[in-house]
Amino acid sequence: MSILSLSHVTKRFEGHVAVRDLSFEVPQGGIFGLLGPNGAGKSTTIRMIMNVITPDDGSITVLGQRASRELAPRIGFLPEERGLYKKMKVLQHLIFFGEVKGLSGSDARSRATAWLDRLGLDQWADKPVEELSKGMQQKVQFIGTLLHEPELVVLDEPFSGLDPVNSRVMKEAVVDIARQGRTVLFSTHIMEQAEQLCDRIVIIARGEKVVDGAVREVKREAGTRHLRLGVTSGQDVARRILADRRWALSLQDHGTEWEAELAPGAAPDALLRALVEGGAGIAEFGVEDPSLESIFISKVGAEAATAMRSEEVAHA
Amino acid sequence: MHKILAVIRREFVTRVRSRAFVISTVIGPIIMILMFAMPILLSGNGGAPKKIAVLDAVQDGFGKLVAQRLNSEMRDTVKRADPRYDAMWVPTTPDRLSAVRDSLVARTGVRSLGTASLDGILVITDSALGQGMIRYMGVNVGSPSDMGRLERSLRSLVIGGRLQHSGLDPQVVLGVMRPVDLKTLKVSEGQLTAESGEASFLLAYAMSFILYIALLLYGIQVMNSVVEEKSSRIIEVLISSLSPFQLLLGKVLGVGATGLLQLGIWVGTATLLTSFKTQIAAMVGASPGAVASLAIPTVSPALLVVFLLFFILGFLFYASAYAAVGSMCNSPQDAQQAQMPVTLFIAAGLFIMFSLLSEPNGSTAHVLTYVPFFAPFVTPVRFSFSSIAWWEVLLSIAAMVGGLLIMTALAGRIYRFGILKYGKKATWGDAMKWIRA
Repeated sequence: MSILSLSHVTKRFEGHVAVRDLSFEVPQGGIFGLLGPNGAGKSTTIRMIMNVITPDDGSITVLGQRASRELAPRIGFLPEERGLYKKMKVLQHLIFFGEVKGLSGSDARSRATAWLDRLGLDQWADKPVEELSKGMQQKVQFIGTLLHEPELVVLDEPFSGLDPVNSRVMKEAVVDIARQGRTVLFSTHIMEQAEQLCDRIVIIARGEKVVDGAVREVKREAGTRHLRLGVTSGQDVARRILADRRWALSLQDHGTEWEAELAPGAAPDALLRALVEGGAGIAEFGVEDPSLESIFISKVGAEAATAMRSEEVAHA
Repeated sequence: MHKILAVIRREFVTRVRSRAFVISTVIGPIIMILMFAMPILLSGNGGAPKKIAVLDAVQDGFGKLVAQRLNSEMRDTVKRADPRYDAMWVPTTPDRLSAVRDSLVARTGVRSLGTASLDGILVITDSALGQGMIRYMGVNVGSPSDMGRLERSLRSLVIGGRLQHSGLDPQVVLGVMRPVDLKTLKVSEGQLTAESGEASFLLAYAMSFILYIALLLYGIQVMNSVVEEKSSRIIEVLISSLSPFQLLLGKVLGVGATGLLQLGIWVGTATLLTSFKTQIAAMVGASPGAVASLAIPTVSPALLVVFLLFFILGFLFYASAYAAVGSMCNSPQDAQQAQMPVTLFIAAGLFIMFSLLSEPNGSTAHVLTYVPFFAPFVTPVRFSFSSIAWWEVLLSIAAMVGGLLIMTALAGRIYRFGILKYGKKATWGDAMKWIRA
């Protein structure tokens, strides 16, 4: 059963279409990635899911209902543009976030305290927000998103601007949520993050969906696998075999180490057998799935992978 | 409801804890105490009597009379009665008049002469009784109250002098010409109050001013709070959990509660001060009788209720407008400019009130009682002058509530769209579109 579903959603802003006829389903549990370059319409999509703005066409179902504020206690939302009341003290601020999500003051307090401990911010509980570094503020806001233990957590670019240590702490928290059977949807333009965390992804570009599915399947369907090969003897034989289009689409010879793109139907074990039977001495033989990045570039073109429009335009 | 309370509490607690609130709450009473104590403290040394030379070129007794009369005039101060003038009769002849006058002028307002320095010269010629023309030259001619007082004294003397010339007994004339001192006491709802007309004027003035400051101060706080949430994008988190209406309501009520608390502290201090005025005056060395002569207004509970009610209604009315303006702006700088129209209405309310003080029962005052923009200023002041019927107060409240409903409906619509609108600053044209949407 899907916890979130978008059906033919379109959103236009003055002069351009931010999201065009977008449909996808987010199954319950696990981590779902909404990927795309800057300006692809990720934030607009998330704002529509969160009912901050309404779609012009199409429908969005969240937790089995139309998107509405009634669902607020069951959803956690970290917007892309972070904001906190600068003068408020950290703990008071988190209690306020908890309360507007429907928690009682005392519940909000005890949960906020536990989270501040966990993320190493316990020293800062009584400091005004403005005294915190940007990364710390981001963690505070992250806590605010999770305080009411939502079934669905929506994070817009959650790891941007964090140092590797903080980034890892937050990633662990995200994985934890998924492990508890809850659902995380997060957006990013950094494919490695999605690669590490996501079970399923949707890639959008120019407001349209280009890839949708489980990460494993997306990679398999993308076809081109990468072959890393070390040949110690019989290079001529090996070169002749790999020149065959049924095995490989291209070959780069770096001397002792070769790289090749496997042909779509080629089975790695059959290739290895052919090489060994042909008399080539094999020191290294490794087949890698394509990276999401390479899939993305091959699907939408390199030029789309870079920002086409500034994010501000998409927000207008 | 729980969520609205969370918003109210946040607005209230962060504001009340802020340094600005604490400072302004404390400074209010301090200013009140100063305003109360200043006249008492200052009146002790209200300055020496005015030294005036009465230059008499006629010498028919009139000039001498003027000098005597001025010397007999007393000035009431809080601690004792002091002579108002130190008048000196200087007889001369018409041909020497200008020479003597010039020598006197040379001694006027010259600080280095010390006590020998004059404050002014009255020149009495034969046109004094005939045409009623007396020339006065002095350092204090710019003071309307000094000149008014001098003119009143001279007027009665001139009339008396004329009567005497027509053959009346000087004693009779003196009796006839005894001046009138009008002591005013305010009557309110059939009850004689201990309040002078001066005091009720002061009260109306103070009320208008406190309203003006409070509406402006707290209205702008609502606006800034909206702008803060918008420019920091906290609004996106809030709006996914709260409706714009809940958020706006919580904000306005939270800031309003802060304002009410501050006003309460101020009004409470003022009430305490006035009820213990004799004791406080004794501490600075003034007699109880002197305190009674000071223009300290008494505030009836009914007036207090009307005043606070109109503050609340006025605040809700203007705060909604400020919130709408704030929602149209992206930065505090934008808001500084955009607030002008709203602020002008509040300022207009204050100035209209000042102009109505002279005629609180006029037709303009009657009409403005029912205009929501100005009623918060006009109605409490008219009420304090007892120049308004109860049904008029009720009707004014009804008009205010009606205006408030319209204002919140309009402002709420602008706010709902405005808070999520980024990019260029919204225009009033955009606002009209949102109202119709």
